[in-house]
Amino acid sequence: MNHFLAVAALIFAVTFMFMLPLVPALVELRRKSDARPLNVVQQHAGEIRHFANSFREYIKGLEPILQECVAAGTSATGTLPDGEEYVVLGRTDEPLVRALEQRDSTHPVVMACGVDLIVPDEAAFSRDIYAAGRFFGGERNSYRAILGEKNVHLGASSRVLRWVHAVGEFTADLGCRLLGRVSSDSFIRLHADCSFLRLNAPRIEIGRTATDAEATTPSSDLPINVGSETLQRVLHDGDFEIHAGQVISSNIVVRGSLHIRSGARICGSVKSVKDMVLEDGVAVKGSLISARKMRIGRDCAVHGPVVAERELAIAAGTRCGAREHPTTVSAPRIDVEEGAVVFGTLWAREFGQVVASR
Amino acid sequence: MLWLRAMIYALYVIVFVICIYTGRHYWFTLNRLFGFQRHPYIDIDTAEWPPVTVLVAAHNEEKVVANILDALMAVKYPADKMLVIPVNDRSTDRTREIIDTFVEKFPGRIQPFHRAGGKGGKAAALKDAMELVTTEVILIFDADYIPGAGLIRQLVAPFFDLEVGGVMGRVVPMNAGTNLLTRLLDLERSGGYQVDQQARMNLRLVPQHGGTVAGVRLSALREIGGWNENSLTEDTDLTYRLLLNGWKTVYQNRSECYEEVPEVWPVRIKQIMRWAKGHNQAMMTYGLRLLLGKHRATLRERIDGTLLLGVYAMAPITLVGWALALGVFYQGVAPLHGVIALLSLTAYAALGNLAAFFEIAAAARLDGTRKRISLLPFLILGFGVSIFSVSRAAVSQVSDLVTGAEFHWDKTERFRKVL
Repeated sequence: MNHFLAVAALIFAVTFMFMLPLVPALVELRRKSDARPLNVVQQHAGEIRHFANSFREYIKGLEPILQECVAAGTSATGTLPDGEEYVVLGRTDEPLVRALEQRDSTHPVVMACGVDLIVPDEAAFSRDIYAAGRFFGGERNSYRAILGEKNVHLGASSRVLRWVHAVGEFTADLGCRLLGRVSSDSFIRLHADCSFLRLNAPRIEIGRTATDAEATTPSSDLPINVGSETLQRVLHDGDFEIHAGQVISSNIVVRGSLHIRSGARICGSVKSVKDMVLEDGVAVKGSLISARKMRIGRDCAVHGPVVAERELAIAAGTRCGAREHPTTVSAPRIDVEEGAVVFGTLWAREFGQVVASR
Repeated sequence: MLWLRAMIYALYVIVFVICIYTGRHYWFTLNRLFGFQRHPYIDIDTAEWPPVTVLVAAHNEEKVVANILDALMAVKYPADKMLVIPVNDRSTDRTREIIDTFVEKFPGRIQPFHRAGGKGGKAAALKDAMELVTTEVILIFDADYIPGAGLIRQLVAPFFDLEVGGVMGRVVPMNAGTNLLTRLLDLERSGGYQVDQQARMNLRLVPQHGGTVAGVRLSALREIGGWNENSLTEDTDLTYRLLLNGWKTVYQNRSECYEEVPEVWPVRIKQIMRWAKGHNQAMMTYGLRLLLGKHRATLRERIDGTLLLGVYAMAPITLVGWALALGVFYQGVAPLHGVIALLSLTAYAALGNLAAFFEIAAAARLDGTRKRISLLPFLILGFGVSIFSVSRAAVSQVSDLVTGAEFHWDKTERFRKVL
């Protein structure tokens, strides 16, 4: 091989090696197989009822069949526009529902019921369920999703994999596992040992709670000051303590741990960079934010959002938000004791559970 | 020789600084892939929402302003608690006419601020528009952005935290697929927001206020003296003044908003040169004070904030490093017998150069967009253009200081069709 060819071969080889990593890039540039903008949700705001609303829209076409079946006391089967099979029930009795449940493992179908639906114990449904009437679930059942136009009741130790929405009241008996979203247009009640992720209702009661009239929380004594931003912001470096019964008329930011002694009242909002502890009977007019753990004692009242970045424990008798001022209570992990009430959203990003009252 | 020794020591310092930035890239990327992710305010979906003012900065924005006003009128936020103020800054096109049409169509919901004169620049326009603002929470958008239905709530939610003075959402290019430049900018944005900004949020460092898809607390703004009309990048300036005064800026990675990125290189070059000048200006103004001054920033905020201020200075420093390396090489000098140099070179080639690519690839993975990663080799082109543009900006900034020349504000050209 002469020198000229050797140099040419070297240049070619180097150029080839340099271009090699660019080949996939050139192919992608030409084909534009992944050139669309990232999907940014424009149309909805992450509402908890999004799936329920979509499902209602999805089965809207079944409405005439549902009415016919209810009138005739019969049932009907068919296929939805996307190929999904459905069964419409105009009447329910245990053998019929049991038969559907047993068929579910091999041939699952979307179920729409025009009357009250009573599901026997130890049943599992892997497709969404629509109930135009009331829904009564037996014990140890498993559901994918339920949309109830009236009340929805889950028996003890039942499980929901994706979502439940009740236009009426929603109740879950002991030990239910609610793995997705649960919402109600009126009321949610969870009993002891239930676990949850995201709940939303005008009123969420944990176990048996006092009525508004019976409540002993001190919130009503505080002046309404929803826009607590107008108050002065006071910064404290290091740990800080608010004494028992003390009344604070400012917003407070603590760059350490914060301990609020029993009966203290804060007309503004509170933030702590480390742990926050509220003893019994504390009232806060604004928000409560902790960058770590937060523990709220018995019979406290918080009007604004409650956010803990690590863990949150709420004791019995505590009320977050108010009927006319719904709010959000949020943390990756939440333990909430029977007797607590939340007006609005209770959202455990990783795990939430109801703890039996001491 | 003394000058040769000085060159070698300067080279060592530059390599050391580059290593710090390399390590920072890896730290951020690994944190995003494996660390604890902070999104503390994104779950606040129910609350007594406070009144909010949305400022839309618009200077000759006839191509885009109708889109953002349409989108803002459709957001899910109590209509009686949200006031939109389009800040029409000396526009000479149909911007005013379009805004006035919306004012008629949505009475009481849009209050226009038509600015006919005064100092140029976004900060000056926002400063003048503040006379109309009465709400504690202010959101700011550039006119080419298109907010989704839930974005306003998401950007307002962090203000329930009293430490928060500023909020920044994520910017997503909507014209990503137009050409090579837009695709590269899409990747860069992905790395910058999905990894860089979120990692800073996770690690409680200094997420940067971007001046659009962003919010600021009125009391915090007043406390720090309002908008700085002398700043070339009012967002960077705001970030540091908030930090120095005990306020936090938080980043909301899930509060995404479409924007339009430049589609031609000259526009991109002008844009990045303006950013570089503004950033360097902030570095000169706040750098020493942030690192060593007496204020409430934590140690990690001081260090990260200083490094963040230096990112645009790294381009000319890298160029100087290359020149020094070549100079030293052609002087026949092999520092430390060449062994360290060889090891450094191979280590940097293997790890250092890859740091930014690693970050962007990780961002693409987190975004679930796999195939666009294959465009990574082309990023060398984007980096090449950036390094020279940013260096040119630094040189011209120094020469402007010497000659006393004033900065000329270049508006970023839009590419959407006029409605």
